[in-house]
Amino acid sequence: MELPQRERLSQLVEELTTSGQQQLHQEKMKELKKLCRLSTDCIDHVYHSVMTQLSQEHAEIRLSAFQITSELFSRSHHFRTLLVDNFQEFLELTVETDSEQPLPPPKEVARKLRALAIQTVQSWQTSYGSAYKKLDLGYHFLKRVKKVDFQDAEARTVAERRREEERQRKMERIYRARVEAAAKDMEESYGDMEAALTEMESCMKLLFPEFSLFLPDSSGQSEEEQPCCSRNQNPIFPPSSSFLTGRRPQRKGNQSVGVGGLLSLAAVCQHAELHHTALLHICLTQLFFLLPQMKATSDGEEDEDDEEEFEEVPEKEGYEPHIPEHLRAEYGLDPSPSTSAAALSQQKAPPRRPPAPPAPSSSSSSSSSSRRMKRMMEEEQDPTSAAATLRLLREKLPLQGEPSGSDGPGQSGPEQQAAEVPVVPFGLDLYYWGQEQPNAGKIIKSASQHQFWVPAEVEEEVESQELLAQSRSRYISFPGKFVPVSHFCRAPLGNGALCQRQDRLKCPFHGPIVPRDSEGRPCREEDRQREEQRRKEQQPDWRDEELMRDIEAATGEDLGSSRNRRGKKKKKKFPNLSDLKQSSNTARSRLQRKVFNKSTMRRVADVLSKADRRKHDKFSNQFNYALN
Amino acid sequence: MLGFLSARQTGLDDPLRLRRAESTRRVLSLKLNPDRDVDRIHGNGINAIDIETIEGRYMLSGGADGVIVIYDLENHSGKQQYTCRPVRTVGRSSRHVHRFSVETVQWYPYDTGMFVSSSFDKTMKVWDTETLKPAEVFEFEGNVYSHHLSPIARKHSLIAVGTKNPKIQLCDLKSGSRIHVLQGHRAEVLSVRWSPRYEYILATASADSKVKVWDVRRASGSLFTLDQHNGEKSKASSEAVNTAHNGRVNGLCFTSDGLYLLTTGTDDRMRLWNSATGENTLVNYGKVCNESRKRLQFSVSHGCSPEFVFVPCGSSVAVYTLHTGELITMLRGHYNNVDCCEFHPDYQELYSGGKDGNLLAWVPVVRNPDVEEDSKDEKRGAAGLPAVNPAFQDTWSSDED
Repeated sequence: MELPQRERLSQLVEELTTSGQQQLHQEKMKELKKLCRLSTDCIDHVYHSVMTQLSQEHAEIRLSAFQITSELFSRSHHFRTLLVDNFQEFLELTVETDSEQPLPPPKEVARKLRALAIQTVQSWQTSYGSAYKKLDLGYHFLKRVKKVDFQDAEARTVAERRREEERQRKMERIYRARVEAAAKDMEESYGDMEAALTEMESCMKLLFPEFSLFLPDSSGQSEEEQPCCSRNQNPIFPPSSSFLTGRRPQRKGNQSVGVGGLLSLAAVCQHAELHHTALLHICLTQLFFLLPQMKATSDGEEDEDDEEEFEEVPEKEGYEPHIPEHLRAEYGLDPSPSTSAAALSQQKAPPRRPPAPPAPSSSSSSSSSSRRMKRMMEEEQDPTSAAATLRLLREKLPLQGEPSGSDGPGQSGPEQQAAEVPVVPFGLDLYYWGQEQPNAGKIIKSASQHQFWVPAEVEEEVESQELLAQSRSRYISFPGKFVPVSHFCRAPLGNGALCQRQDRLKCPFHGPIVPRDSEGRPCREEDRQREEQRRKEQQPDWRDEELMRDIEAATGEDLGSSRNRRGKKKKKKFPNLSDLKQSSNTARSRLQRKVFNKSTMRRVADVLSKADRRKHDKFSNQFNYALN
Repeated sequence: MLGFLSARQTGLDDPLRLRRAESTRRVLSLKLNPDRDVDRIHGNGINAIDIETIEGRYMLSGGADGVIVIYDLENHSGKQQYTCRPVRTVGRSSRHVHRFSVETVQWYPYDTGMFVSSSFDKTMKVWDTETLKPAEVFEFEGNVYSHHLSPIARKHSLIAVGTKNPKIQLCDLKSGSRIHVLQGHRAEVLSVRWSPRYEYILATASADSKVKVWDVRRASGSLFTLDQHNGEKSKASSEAVNTAHNGRVNGLCFTSDGLYLLTTGTDDRMRLWNSATGENTLVNYGKVCNESRKRLQFSVSHGCSPEFVFVPCGSSVAVYTLHTGELITMLRGHYNNVDCCEFHPDYQELYSGGKDGNLLAWVPVVRNPDVEEDSKDEKRGAAGLPAVNPAFQDTWSSDED
């Protein structure tokens, strides 16, 4: 056989087997058969190359090689004798007769190969079994020893079937155990769940109507949705629209406590536009406190509750962020804005229901007002009370609008100016301001540090100009104000984006920050030139992309101009075959490779042992370290 | 061949010479032959086979499922194609069948009316061939790995038995009792063989990697222990002194004249020893794959001019020349490990049994009669080899052109 023929055969076999297809390429197979027909030498050669491919650790290669084998097996007697002579190995490689040599991945292809091989062996047996003894033996070996069921579509051995059943049973057991565990869990936590549900429900019951009361859009229905206050209590909960417009029906008597609190709350809420969750929470706490009070009051004065109880007040624009001092008591607030900080640190106590208010009286007597004051004080001590929360709220919210009277009359123009004047901390210079100090800048200098023996010449006091100046002067450093950087580097990046670094003067990657246009090019000409220069320096000129592309276009050879950008990617040898390493190339495995790298482990162990040794060196004289 | 014949006729040659030359030629042409089949009776691996020496007609085989089968090897049909039929079978249904794997079977050397089998069910049974009932059952404490009856003994009828116990048992067929033990080994005894030359000489191989040669008349100790280094202390480490192999020794076989002893071990080596002196002849057989934990049965040809060794080697049978250690061929046919092989000295046939349950007959290929050139051409042109099985023909389809 000539060399070119031989080469062509090898090439054909390789192409056929590395195609990665489930079916053989018909044209190539035909060519192969034509070549094989010429002489037995060709068949020898093909046989050996096919066997080599069959022993590759890739199921797709094996499958294709097996298909070539079966094509040739039915054609050539010589091929049959060759194959049957080595039938043990052939079965090991295709039917997996040796459990220590499992079929290589990918798994689906391996399974297919196996099924196909078993079917083919059976068909060979029927047509050639009588003539080739070893084929017959192999068939019976598969049938009797490996217990391959040739009728079985899956073509599995008994052991495999048993394993499969075992696996299924095991999985079933696991699932059942899981279900049982889940059911038990459920049973155990059923009580808790119920409790949580009821809690939730009652919570929602409590929350929902009040919640909708303060939502501007649901203001119309708020009245109807209130289960906790009856219809005839209309005046207490007037439609919120009247709240918002500022038409505030004011109520006399101690009911005004609740209403006033509510009103101020409403105003505050409106101001904050109900954005803040914390705010919402505060509102709700307040409501919680107020509701029972309302009820109580409503119970008390159901009959005499009438329209004449309300008096018209002048309309107001917006709300009242600050309640005048004289109205504070009426609003249920502490008369002075300052409270002790101790109230904040108090433990959260269960909300104390205020007792039912005393009998309504149209005029508020001084005694009752003072009593109420006391109660208010107490309430404010309680962090859950309305007064306390309101105070908190006021502290939190920035005060807007014109300063109201509660701020006091002391805050006038000159005082405001004084606040702008810088204040200098008190120092020595101020202490002796305008005086001549007798011994300023004099220090006692003793030449000898000895306690008893003193040298003859005593020249103790030294005038120090430095100290003198220090006592009369004052340094005021003026570093200026911190201004955050608002500009970006905006140099073009490799991925097409612009650099987002915010350095003040110079980006560590792209040099001084210069004004750039929307695509990242410098606006000024000299900047542009400098940038160009820099890029050229980084890259040798023969690798200049454009130059290389020109050369490539001229010569038609790939010099790798495109490689420049994309990094070197190794070309796969057989691109059609499925990649076996793909599955193993996971983030976890990559990390594992790094973390459990031998040298890394050794380094870590070294460091650890060194630390250990240091401890030993340091404390070896102590018995408990010396021992271990 | 013709030269040998005429030389023999004229008396120039020893008559033996022709015989030797011919049997050597036949051994060299051993092949797996489709003409000779052995019926598949064993459902499991075959551990031991034995061909009787009186007629050379019957073969015993013992399987891993406890079944013992007697085959008739003689072909009386007059045709080339012959299938060896089982004559008698001790099947699983028999009341007396061994419960576990049969490890060794052997014919009584002087009569086919009796054979002995030993098994992992800790018994050794002496069978009556006619009734297939055990005439005697010996029971032991451990698994019986091997037993052997002396092929030439006239003055005693002892069966040497190697069991899991390191002591070798000697059972007397006359009294039906265990009469003797030979102590010396430290691990289970995997193989025992009587010398075919001296009736009191016994060789035993054990898992402690030692091979001892005994004279059973002198029970106090062995005659000598085979040493792979021939006593050169420098080569042997202290614990390797007096060892025949560096692993378990599981095969033992005398040459037919009894002058040499072959051993195989799990160190994948085969060694040839002078059985008179216990000297290692240092014949290098190369690597003889051997991973069996049990006894390995192999055999030596008889009556060839260089003698051959047939030794199981993985899933094939290796054929070596005895004294040069040259590998002649590998007989590949089994699909799993081969456990035993037996040479048929009369027909130069080889029978081998393996774990795949196949009992294969390796038969010399008869040379095709030479036909003169011109007639051959005529024939081929006329009929196109009508005798050939259609399966042997190439079937290139026409669409490939």
